Amino acid sequence: MYPRRIYCAFVVKSADSPLTPAVLHILLALAHEERHGYGIMKQVESDSAGKVRMGPGTLYGSLGRMLEAGLIRESDKRVDREMDDERRIYYAISDLGRTTLAAELQRYRDVLTVARRSPRARDFAHGT
Amino acid sequence: MAPESSVHRSRIWYARLLRLYPTQFRERFGEAMEQTFADTCRQHGKGDAERVGFLIWVFAETFTAIIREHVTRLRRNGMRDDIRVLKTVRYAAIAAAVLLVTGIVILMVLARGKTGDDGDIAGVVAPALFLTCVSGVVAVVATVRQKRAQRRIVRP
Repeated sequence: MYPRRIYCAFVVKSADSPLTPAVLHILLALAHEERHGYGIMKQVESDSAGKVRMGPGTLYGSLGRMLEAGLIRESDKRVDREMDDERRIYYAISDLGRTTLAAELQRYRDVLTVARRSPRARDFAHGT
Repeated sequence: MAPESSVHRSRIWYARLLRLYPTQFRERFGEAMEQTFADTCRQHGKGDAERVGFLIWVFAETFTAIIREHVTRLRRNGMRDDIRVLKTVRYAAIAAAVLLVTGIVILMVLARGKTGDDGDIAGVVAPALFLTCVSGVVAVVATVRQKRAQRRIVRP
């Protein structure tokens, strides 16, 4: 389903398992704009309406693994003029990252389609 | 916003915690992490209780990440050793197969035209062929496992 390169044992658990929530949220945060670490944290928090809280440890651990897997790349561009600092590193999603994100979102859509078709899944959705 | 002095103090302690990261990781992300920590600290500073709660959470989160990073590194090193062994096995198996095939060919050339016991090389060729097949299988298995391990370790 995904290009083989992205199947990093440290990014995802196995060849058939989905992306980790942290990786998915970071890809979503970078989908439309290049951001620095703190910018990604803020975007993830706002995208998830405060439900996902990511600390620097999780964030940079994930960023490191995503860089290795080629899902993102470092960028020289400075977007945040308010907080700009020479040392601040910006990250951008790569083509592989876009493909992976699209594939992952499609996987979620497929799961939802199956769940909507199944009467039992509908019961679960209503908490019965 | 938290007072700048408090942010500075927390940042110093956070920098000390970051020293526990593997050197490579710290050199690459240490400064950025410190900066992100300071940015986050400034945003979580409405009250003392909130600030302390936030600091405990961030320090615990980063400490967990440090352990995870060390475990990952150890696993990767283990995998690298496996890859090295598999590579050696693969080359040894290929070399053995090539030597056996060469031996069989030489034997067949030498035995050509000979009759009787001198010409009967089946007793030597059959086990040699079997060993060649085994070497081939070992080489293929080692190659497949090596590739799999390399994929898992992924381009670090």
